[in-house]
Amino acid sequence: MATKPDTLLACAPITEKPGVDRAMRVAIQRARHGKQAPSFSQQQAFDAAVAKLVHAIPVDAQVAEWFANENLIPLPKPRWRKILLNPAVLAVIVAVAVISGVFAYRVHEHLKDFPGGDKARRLLSVAASSRSVILDPLQTDAGALTDLFFMKHRLEHYDVPPEFADFRTLGTRVFEDEEVHRVAQIWLVEKRMQLLLFPAEPDPKDGRIKDFSDWRFVELEGWTGAVQQRNGVCFMAVIRGREKDLAPYLEKKKQ
Amino acid sequence: MTGDASKAQEAFQDTVREAALRSARDEPPPNRLWFFGDARWRCLAVCEQGLQAEPGMMEEADISLFAPMQIAQLEPEQLAVWISAAPEPQRSALALFYLDEFTLREMLALLEIKAVEFADLLSSARRQFQAWLDATTPYYEEPFFDGNEA
Repeated sequence: MATKPDTLLACAPITEKPGVDRAMRVAIQRARHGKQAPSFSQQQAFDAAVAKLVHAIPVDAQVAEWFANENLIPLPKPRWRKILLNPAVLAVIVAVAVISGVFAYRVHEHLKDFPGGDKARRLLSVAASSRSVILDPLQTDAGALTDLFFMKHRLEHYDVPPEFADFRTLGTRVFEDEEVHRVAQIWLVEKRMQLLLFPAEPDPKDGRIKDFSDWRFVELEGWTGAVQQRNGVCFMAVIRGREKDLAPYLEKKKQ
Repeated sequence: MTGDASKAQEAFQDTVREAALRSARDEPPPNRLWFFGDARWRCLAVCEQGLQAEPGMMEEADISLFAPMQIAQLEPEQLAVWISAAPEPQRSALALFYLDEFTLREMLALLEIKAVEFADLLSSARRQFQAWLDATTPYYEEPFFDGNEA
């Protein structure tokens, strides 16, 4: 029983032409450089001689004239599907898509980023791993803690914004972080939110601290923080959820 | 394909007429293969009325090293007659293959057969044609007798 390469060799094209399958090209290459080389070259010579004679068969002038009418034969449409499904083209498309995706992600991250963004993300992980028992219990309005931070810990401008000033607290603490330095952490009753206040980061371009009053967001493993910077101090409200879960609290001031 | 130029001409004429009618109806033939496929079926229909060759009736021989030289001695019409005398689908397979116009995939689509069958048809046709060549157009590598040497 003939194997597949033998089958292909028996039908090998007489002249090289585009559109020959890869399997056929491989079979021909192997035959030309293998044990079958003499018999295959004999077959090719035989076929070439017959094809030459076939092309010498005179074609009736009338039939030739009919086929000269090219309008009867539609032009082949470009096979976009075939081109797109070519493994090489697919590989290039996937590579370009991945590179574009990574580039777009980096650009998007950079657009959203701000000085102190890295600190905010670090504190987001602190908030995610914090338990209420490590805080000093204190039930008061969050806005009232500004004076406590100043009087007890000498933390100037550690102010809770008006959007969160009226929420009741469960506890608070001030701790030293090796990268962020002095951090004030407040635990709220409202949806177990946490508020974090920490020193702002100078802009690496000019070394100056640039405050911003709009809310900027950081996300980490299902936790989201909304950051605002005033008087050289960053305030971050942290919630377990997404940006949309924090949005209602940030609009409160406008109402 | 038919062994008769007038029959072949009639079949091709009908194919071209059908293509023109389709184009007039704004349904042109989908591709160039349509012409060959349609012409083939018309030729087969014409030939059905005459005598039919039967497969396996011809002698076979291994392809010779001198086959190209033997073939070069033939007239094109001799080859045309030999191919037209082959049984179907071998006749169509030979006609399409030696036109050297189509890929294997196209030929299989036109003939509606599998690659293994197509390979068998070509292989046996080569051997049969070689046997016919050996019988009608023998070729000798060296002359048996050289007059100058004598």
